[in-house]
Amino acid sequence: MTHAHRPSPPVDGDCLQSFDLLYAYLAGELKDPAALATIQHHLAHCQSCMSRAQIEREIDRRLRASADSAATASLHSRLDKLLKDL
Amino acid sequence: MDPERPDRKSEFGRQIREHMDALYSFALRLTQQRADAEDLVAEAATRAWLAIETLADDSRFRPWMFRILHNCYISDFRRKSVRPAELGYEELPAREEEGDVASVLIRQPDAFLHWWANPEREVMNKLLGRDLQAAIQALPESFRVVVVLINVEGLSYDEAAEVLGVSSGTIRSRMNRGRTLLQKALWQHARDAGLITDGRAMETNR
Repeated sequence: MTHAHRPSPPVDGDCLQSFDLLYAYLAGELKDPAALATIQHHLAHCQSCMSRAQIEREIDRRLRASADSAATASLHSRLDKLLKDL
Repeated sequence: MDPERPDRKSEFGRQIREHMDALYSFALRLTQQRADAEDLVAEAATRAWLAIETLADDSRFRPWMFRILHNCYISDFRRKSVRPAELGYEELPAREEEGDVASVLIRQPDAFLHWWANPEREVMNKLLGRDLQAAIQALPESFRVVVVLINVEGLSYDEAAEVLGVSSGTIRSRMNRGRTLLQKALWQHARDAGLITDGRAMETNR
């Protein structure tokens, strides 16, 4: 391949700052109004970060859906006995 | 729970049963072994009953119980549990306060940074559930625990902070770093599966 690699979209300080806020934002843990405004404004204007946010949201969804393995029958009977003997 | 209440035991039993799947899942994520996970839940339940007077508010049972289970894991189970190959330990900033994404990214290979700057949803959609599970299990423990508590079990940052006995700022920092490393692990899976070549997704002209 002789052609030059296409340059990446710029990842600047705004992107990094937004990414530091992103997980808290997606988890609904970002309460500070100024921080909320910062990330919402950035996501609305940065295609690259918006794509990343969508991927992270999809991962969040999959992680949540992967929740609990059912406790085994042997654990159930063990805890039944344990609770009875308290 | 009022220790003097006669229904205290039955309430404790009810709560344990209600949260048994979550407790077992969390234990399984920590120990990575069924037998150890069962032992851990049983031991934690025993200790929790002995410490029942430290549960001030019944509605906080879940973080309180998770915390006891986690402490129990640290003190008695961690040494003998089998650790999978953990990704990226050497790439992590030594100090907790260096928790921003930039401090993790600066240590990553160019190919990953290229992916990070040009994320492809299509690639992520093709990854399987088991790739995600494998990626989680490969995270260093301190990050895995935070991701599991918050993203899998649905605890709030404050509750996760209570479980681990750290500040919510530390939770946020571990979350940022853990999820960035998770992205890297997924990127590696995608590359191994041939979904990404030469560090980038198959070209789709934009």
